[in-house]
Order: sequence, then structure tokens, then C-alpha cells
Amino acid sequence: MKPWWTCNGGGNSNANEPPPAAPTPTTDHRQPTTNALPRRVLLGGTLAALVAGAGERGAPSALADVALRPGPAEPNGDVLVSVFLRGGADGLNIVAPFGDDAYHRARPTLGLGTPKGKTGPLDLDGFFGLHPALAPLLPFYKDGTLAVVHACGSGDESRSHFEAMATMERGQRGDQKGQTAGNASGWIARHLASSPAEGGGNGSPLRAVAFAAIQPDSLRGATQTTTLNSLADFRLRLPPSVQAPGAADLRNALATLYQSGGNDAVAHAGRETLAVLDTLRRLDPARYKPANGAAYPASDIGNGLRQVACLVKGGVGLEVACLDHGVWDTHIAQGGATGWQANLLADLSGALAAFARDLGHERLQRVTVLVITEFGRRVEENSGLGTDHGRASALFLLGGNICGGRVFARWPGLEKQQLDPTGDLRVTTDYRDVLAEVVARRLRNDRLSAVFPGYTPRFLGVTRPAG
Amino acid sequence: MNADEPVNAQTPPSLSRRDCLGALGTAAAVAGGALALSGAAGCADATRLAKRYCGPEPPQNAALGHASVALPPAGPTDPAVRLLNRAAFGPAPGDVVRVSAMGTAAYVDEQLAPPTSDAEPAFLQRRLRTAVGDLQDPSISALDFRDIPERDVLRQLSQAALLRAVYSRAQLRERMADFWTNHFNVYARKKMGAYLLAADEKSVVRAHTLGKFGDLVRASARSPAMLGYLDQEASRKGVPNENYARELLELHTLGVDGGYTQKDVQEIARCLTGWTIEDRFLHRRGTFRFDPDRHDDGPKLVLGHAIAPGGGERDGDAVLDIITRHPSTARHIARKLCRFFLGDTDEANRWTPKLAAVYAKTNGHIPSLLRPLLLSDDFVHGPPILKCPLDFVASALRALGADTDAGPALQTHLCAMGQPLHEWPLPDGYPDATHAWTGSLLARWNFAFALTSGGVKGTGVDLPALVQAANGDHADALVALILARRPGDEAGRSLHQSVAGHLARATGNVLAEAAALCLASPQFQWR
Repeated sequence: MKPWWTCNGGGNSNANEPPPAAPTPTTDHRQPTTNALPRRVLLGGTLAALVAGAGERGAPSALADVALRPGPAEPNGDVLVSVFLRGGADGLNIVAPFGDDAYHRARPTLGLGTPKGKTGPLDLDGFFGLHPALAPLLPFYKDGTLAVVHACGSGDESRSHFEAMATMERGQRGDQKGQTAGNASGWIARHLASSPAEGGGNGSPLRAVAFAAIQPDSLRGATQTTTLNSLADFRLRLPPSVQAPGAADLRNALATLYQSGGNDAVAHAGRETLAVLDTLRRLDPARYKPANGAAYPASDIGNGLRQVACLVKGGVGLEVACLDHGVWDTHIAQGGATGWQANLLADLSGALAAFARDLGHERLQRVTVLVITEFGRRVEENSGLGTDHGRASALFLLGGNICGGRVFARWPGLEKQQLDPTGDLRVTTDYRDVLAEVVARRLRNDRLSAVFPGYTPRFLGVTRPAG
Repeated sequence: MNADEPVNAQTPPSLSRRDCLGALGTAAAVAGGALALSGAAGCADATRLAKRYCGPEPPQNAALGHASVALPPAGPTDPAVRLLNRAAFGPAPGDVVRVSAMGTAAYVDEQLAPPTSDAEPAFLQRRLRTAVGDLQDPSISALDFRDIPERDVLRQLSQAALLRAVYSRAQLRERMADFWTNHFNVYARKKMGAYLLAADEKSVVRAHTLGKFGDLVRASARSPAMLGYLDQEASRKGVPNENYARELLELHTLGVDGGYTQKDVQEIARCLTGWTIEDRFLHRRGTFRFDPDRHDDGPKLVLGHAIAPGGGERDGDAVLDIITRHPSTARHIARKLCRFFLGDTDEANRWTPKLAAVYAKTNGHIPSLLRPLLLSDDFVHGPPILKCPLDFVASALRALGADTDAGPALQTHLCAMGQPLHEWPLPDGYPDATHAWTGSLLARWNFAFALTSGGVKGTGVDLPALVQAANGDHADALVALILARRPGDEAGRSLHQSVAGHLARATGNVLAEAAALCLASPQFQWR
């Protein structure tokens, strides 16, 4: 059994040690400080003034101005960017354990070979290697901002996409029938509800944004979330006959209707929607220009992360962004160094690399990207040159305060007797250990018992404590 | 004007196949942009929508927290208005007066025993024939529709459902058709779902909407659409597929907390081996078939009932008898109906055991379950329920007496609100929880403005005729029509003020804008 790769950055180096106490916050973020002005004030006043005219053609982007003023509109902790790889991504070909002989035997066709090969994996530590299509991420691994956690997953053994996704998005263990069901809220929703920022007054309509058609389960039960497909599409479409003053009249009329609408779910949602419309009109995301020569792929994940960057720089109180990528359900014709999965990986890595570059070193200190999937895939390739639903997979963390440059894995091995009875990579790290560490250390929310009830996480040391 | 026609019917624009394709192409582009999680797969991927998964009925898990949702105060409710909002897809012009005059009990009785489809307005019958003509040829077997593109089949199915919701006189039947369609949800984009759904609709939901629950389950169990969707078609002796057996128990009958075990699921799966879809050459492909060669004929034990060996196809029927008579099924169906008509409320919890008792006594006779519920005080006075997008669209069209072909342009709006019909990928059907739909407000507002200004192709409203017919000042007329509020009704007053204010102040197409504001108002989102 391969030992943990551990982090020198202050992590718990021994997986068998008792879990650490919840970290002590270095500052009491429940007390408002000068750096924690209520967002409402900012949105209503300062920012409005800053970005006034941003929508006018030819006006310099207001984002630049906003960007010069750090602090008030930024969340207490990092901005969390959660990328969910839908369909069960094959961790064994994403971060290939080329040092495990059984890997090559199980994957005669799909296997990536060794780093010596022309299209082999990119060596990370002599045992694991990145899929070649992930080359754009290698610099971030090398400079320590990208970490891999392998053989990671949930307790859900259903191998059902829906069950496994529901388990993860709700932050549950996943081995109890019915537990994933019904009214359980999402783990990010519980973080938002229990995070100190709630009391600190982040009333931003863009506090939590999902780039999706319908609110993802991870945000289920959260107020102050906005689900949209594209920032540019999120606009009120008035009839062409309505002229500018009339449009303002109609917006005001809507606002009046919803302001007098009481405190029920619809009145609340209506006011949030109007506030989002207001903010976006000022930000004008369609004219957003990435910095540092960052080039996002023209794909959904590329466009999504580009818009997240726009919001991060806009200082509009964004705390969480949820995106989806894939369909990673590669039952047939998965491909090896090229093909279906490789194309998805190229898209993903291109988008992530552009995002990190666009944010730049300083901003990346306050952003944590989580890339996760509901389960991995069978170790042995199938007769359709694909892989079937499995158990453990690999996840990525990217950010300025990630203890990167390492693969965190208690490697269970790929020999027959080391696999689970179905022939799948065993889960040796509960995904909630990673999530909880991110919540406590990077999002600066120490109320883990509210976010992951009934679970005592064991930190891997994959992040640096917030300073 | 024919009395059958909707209030301001013009000649319905005839939509050619080419129009549909063009418009649907746009729709798909919009929806695709809206929905796609990746460029890798089109609209068709189940996993793409799976993040909307809300799971089966919950055993309450206090530790994880109930996502609580604030409902607006109930306020005084007119029984006729409440009835039309919940037992129908909202009041159409004249409905409130008619129901008030005949009395709610008489209306409920009329709705519980609707005449056959021949009694539908002639124009509705005509439009349905036009809309779903392709799918109605009984001489063609379902799988031979494959010459028609899937999106056209889906468009036709949605069109028929929308036309009926808006125009049918049997409004309660259409509401219940929607309820059962979600209860026995089939995802149209899995396998051949779209092509099998037309027959499924006819033989399952529409055949037994207001009949006996057991007949619904029995019909569904022999529906090729369901057998394909939940992989029953592939189940065979030795390797039974549990997918259908599990959902049959968990979602269709007993409920997740209904007291069955994994062993019961496996035994039922064995009983059902051989229930499959006909696909042999020179046979009527796409119909139900029992294949004795695939059937596991050994003895089984289902929920404590022994099933003797050698039963063949009758094994499955025995299972269906056992589960439809099961007290957990009575409770599960009672609970779902209560939630559907009373919302996720204490009232619904109180009514569940009462209705479960009616189920037991009447052997699941659906009108007997509905009647006491619809005529109860709780139904009239309970808190409002958030309209799902289908409710919202249908009630808006009815309120304005719209003339719609229910074609691609209208369907695009429904899609933007997150509810393309027959496209919920999971077997539990579209969610009915409030929080599932609060995110669709902007799309609702945009629909309101498009509808009232002639911006939805194939759908028209004649607002001047409407307010003239209502014979009052415009703000009054709109509030009365759209919200069915009486003068002096508190909830209607603030809306009235806003609308009147807008009418007085604005220039341009003020009537359309005022009507849009009514439809976009928070008040109109509830039923």
C-alpha cells in the first residue's frame, strides 16, 4: 500500500491520526471589520458609482476600477468554484497510476502507458501521471497551485449516476437507502447558510451562481442563489416596441410589484432576480476582456469560467460558482491519449488554465477551484473499448492556497485482490474530507457540523489555513 | 364566431412542418445553450439534467435540515377561484361566474365524470388532429414512426398536452393527466421513448385518468414506453434487471418507506422477467410482449405472498394485485394527491390518512379520492401553491383567452422556464416543490411580455376585446381577468394600484404592458 503523499503546508500528515479540531479562525469573522462592509451598502452605493456608465459603449471597463479596490465586496474566504464532471469521469486515465503494473494489464487498449511513451502520461511523482490532454495544467501542478486527490469518492455503491450525484451534491455518505432523498439540502447550501458571511450581510444577488438550467442539488435549500445559463442571456426581454424610458418604467413597475409582495418565496426570488439584472446591466459581461493573455476555449466550460472570472473581478460579492462539465459516461469508445475522454480533458484543462491565468497570481490566492465527479470507472476496460461505472476517482483542487504539486492518495492498488468485489478502485478517501477542509480552511466556515452533519472529517492538508 | 372558439380566436396560423423545424431549431439552440452542460452531447443526455434530481419521497432527515420555503399568507379565497386554479388550469374568461352560479359541488361532480373526448370543442378536436396527426395512424406500429425526427414527435406530444390543458372542458381530467404523466414518468429522450410515448399516453394515462389506480399501474406495467425506459425489456431469467421492479415499488406504488426489502425488489424482478417489447420481424413491433423463454418460472416470495412456480405471465399480474392492494400504496398515493392539491402543508399531512382510508375502501377509485379533497375547507382556505411552468403558461393563456397553436414558439418558453414536457430524465417526474421553480421567474416575466405583445409566434391575444367584454376600467378588468380578484380583495389591491399607475403614466402599448405586469406579478405565480 502506497503511503500518503503529504503536504508540508501544515496538513495532517498521518491519515491514522485522530481528526484535528476545527481550525481556529485567525480572526473572528463574525465581527464586522472595516474589510467587511455590508455588501448591500456597497452594491447600492459604491459599486453603483464605480461602474456607472460601464454599459455605455466606448466607456472604459468599470471592472478595472473595481479591481483596484480590494476588500469590501470580497467574501470572507475564498470564492469557491465547483466544477462537477457529470457522468462518472474515469480517474484512472485522468491521473494514471502508471507505476501500478496492474493498470497496464487492465487497460491494454485504453491505457496511457508510461511517461516514456510518446503519448504517455505526464509524470507527476514517478507513480502517477497526468493524461497528456491535461498538459495545460502541468505548470500549475509544478508551481504548487494544483493538487490531486486520488482513490477518492463517496460511500454510494449504487453505481447509479443519479444516486451518486445526489449523494455528493448533498454532502452525504451515500450508503443508506433513502438518505439521498427528499428534502435534504445541498452541502454548498448548508455552507452558505452557516457561513459567517451570512451574518456579515452579504446580500449580493450574485452570492452563489450556478451556470445551469436548474439549480444544482449542491445549492438546494439555499436562498440567494442564482441559476443562469449565461450572464448575457440573463436579461429582461421587453417587446421591441418598448423604448428606453418605457423600459425603465416597466422595470420599476416590476420592482414595485415585488417589493410590496411580502416575504414569501416568490417575492424574495423576484427581488433577487431584479437585483441580479441590475448588477449585470452595470457589469456588461459581454464586453469582458480576460487578462494576461488568457484564452478560454469557446466551449461551455470555457465560457462558464470566463464569466466566473468576470464576476470575481467585478467584486460583486460572489462566494460560490457551480458549473458542470461533460458527459463523461464513457461506456464505449472512450479513447486513450486521444478520443472522447481526451477531448473533454483538453477542454477542461484549457478552461481551467485560462481561468487561473486570467485571475492572476494575486486573485488566485482568494479562489479555490474544486473539480469532482460522482464516481470513477471500472479498472478493466470493456469489450466496447470503454469503461463501466466504478467507484473511486480522482479530484482536483486549484488555487493560490492549495498545497499543490502533490498527489494525495492512499493507494489501494489495482491487483484483483485489491479491488472491490465488482473490480473497481476502492474508495480510500471520503470526498467529504476534502470538501470539509476546503470549507473550514479556504471558505473560513468552521461550522462543519452544520455543513456535514454527523461526519467528522479528517483533513488531508491539501489546503493552507486561511491567514 | 362559433361558440366553441376561444374568446378571441382568429384563424389559427397553420404551422407547416418546415416552420416547425425552423422555429424548433431556434428553440433547440436556445434550449441547448440553456441546458447543455457540455458540447459533448446534445439535449438528449440524461446526466445533463440529472442535477435537477430531487429524489423519491423523503424519510425526514432532521439532521440534514429541511429546505424550508416561505409561503404567502392564504388570504380570503373565493371557493370557485381556488377550484379553478387547482382542479383546472386556472380560470378562463367567464369561468368564475359559471362555477359560482352552478356551485362548487356541481362543478366538481361535472369534472369528475367528464364526457368522452367527443364533447370537446370542435376547434380543439381539429387542432389536436392537426397537431398529432402523425402519431395517430393506428395502422402504423410505434417503432415505425422513426421516419419522423424525434424532436417532431416530442413537439407533437407537447402540443397535444398544452392544447388540452388550455382548451379542454374536462379540466380536472387534464390536471390529473399531468399528475399521472409525472407519476409514471417516462423520459422521452431515452432509447425509443418519444416514439412509444404516444401509445403510452393513450393506453395508460388517458385510459384511466379518472378510473382506478390499479388499472393505471397494470396498464403502465405493460406499456412499452415504461418497459423500455426502466430497462424491463432487457430483463431475463438468471439476470433479472431490477430497475423497473424497484421504481414500481419506490415511486409507483408502495413508496420508499413502504416497508419492502431489497429481496422483494429482486423477487418482483424475477416475476416480471419476460415482460418485454415486441421487436420480432413480421410482428407488431413496439407493442407489449410476454416472452416465456425469458421468464423465470421458479417459485417466488413477494411481500410475504408465495407465488407458485409455473405461473408464467400471471406472475407479474399477481405482483401487481399484491402491490396495488397494499396499505402502503394507499398511503403513498393519498400523500401524493394531497400534496398535489393542498401543497406541501400540514393540511396535506392531515388529509393523507383520510384519503388512504378511502383508497382502501374503494379499491383506489380516483374520483372517490378526489371528491372529498376538492370540496374540503382545507382545499379552499389552505396556503397557495407555486405554479410550475406548465401551470403558469396554461393559466396565462386561459386568463387572456389566448388563441394558441401550442407550437414550437410557445414550447420554447416552457423550455426556458425549465419544464420541457416529457423531458424530465428521472423516473420521479417533475418536482412539485416550491423551491424547484422559484428560479424560473425571469423566464416567466419574459413570457408575459412576449405573450401580451404578440411576440409568441402562433399565439395571439386580443386585449382590447377582453377588457371591453369585461366592461370596466382597464386596470379593474385586467386584475379581475388575470387574478380573478374581486374589487376590494386585499391581495389584488396592491396589484391594482401598480397596474392603474402604469396605465395612467406610460405611453405606448399600455394595455399589453399592464396585462404583462399582471401575469408577471408575484400574485399570479401562485394557485
